[in-house]
Amino acid sequence: MDRAEVMDRVVKILTPWVKDEAALAKVSMETNILEDLKVNSARLVDVVIAFEDDFDIEIADEDVDKVNTVGDAVNLISGKL
Amino acid sequence: MGQDVASGVEPRADRETVIRNAMRSDPGMVRRHARQRFVSMLAGPVWVGFSVLVMRFYFRYRIADVKRVRATYRRIRAESKAPLLICANHLTMVDSFLIAWALGSGSYWLSHPDELPWNTPEQTNFGRTRLQRFLIFVAKCIPITRGGAREDVGGVLERVKYLVARGETACIFPEAGRSRSGRVEESAAAWGVGRIVGAVPGCRVLCVYIRGRAQSSFGVAPAAGDTLDVALACIEPKSDTRGVRRSRDLAAQIVRQLIRMEEEYFDARK
Repeated sequence: MDRAEVMDRVVKILTPWVKDEAALAKVSMETNILEDLKVNSARLVDVVIAFEDDFDIEIADEDVDKVNTVGDAVNLISGKL
Repeated sequence: MGQDVASGVEPRADRETVIRNAMRSDPGMVRRHARQRFVSMLAGPVWVGFSVLVMRFYFRYRIADVKRVRATYRRIRAESKAPLLICANHLTMVDSFLIAWALGSGSYWLSHPDELPWNTPEQTNFGRTRLQRFLIFVAKCIPITRGGAREDVGGVLERVKYLVARGETACIFPEAGRSRSGRVEESAAAWGVGRIVGAVPGCRVLCVYIRGRAQSSFGVAPAAGDTLDVALACIEPKSDTRGVRRSRDLAAQIVRQLIRMEEEYFDARK
């Protein structure tokens, strides 16, 4: 699976938790998940579990500390595929 | 109103691994922690005494059946040397002080300084000025920025894991912020607390439900002269899952315990 495909799936998974839909329309690898997309930080865990289910991977607590942007999520997931 | 379930599990060797790993991976954090612990302990007679005086005489708060609450806390402590994390519902910005006062007298905390819980207040509420930052440093606070950079939040969680594994205590609000509905909200459960509990072998959780009788919703502080009811329940959350899912599962167990305690609180007042 190439990074563009991972990116598409990451954005699709993020969509239900995004509060700023305008930011979603111009999403890029640099888009910050909490600050730009306004995803509730307490719900980040649900997003990560959705990543696990969708990509059939396991993500450790410490891995989540490295995820600030959409690109960070794509890199993390790509590294586990 | 109290209930408690004790656990005698004390896998000390594993806890020492947690401590050793922290010392190896972040020696700066370990040094900062030692420094703050020393300063807080040294200044304890001033800030602990002052806090108790303010709560007791300025705000005229009263803890209902305080002797029983403190005896229950001491019994839970005496039952096991396993690490203990305090998790409470969150309605006001002074809950941490009220919980500490409910669990022990000023003199108790001065003679058991490592049992006096560390706190993780929101940086934007308590760390705005240099004076505020100094005061929260002295008062055993590790400020956190909700929704801040994940590495910073992770750093705070790592420090709490380290200090709990050492046998110190922290008070965490699993809902992350004050309950906006005035009730414990399962949907607001943050997973960080589960991450701490899952990483410290044998970690027990002392769930504390605290509520002022005049308190109908969240606010800055309980009304002056209010009487606060306090219930305690000691649990040891377990989960067969792994990774992030495990942390969420453990956090959910803690929040559900707080919800049960809240239901008992309101049932008793019907």
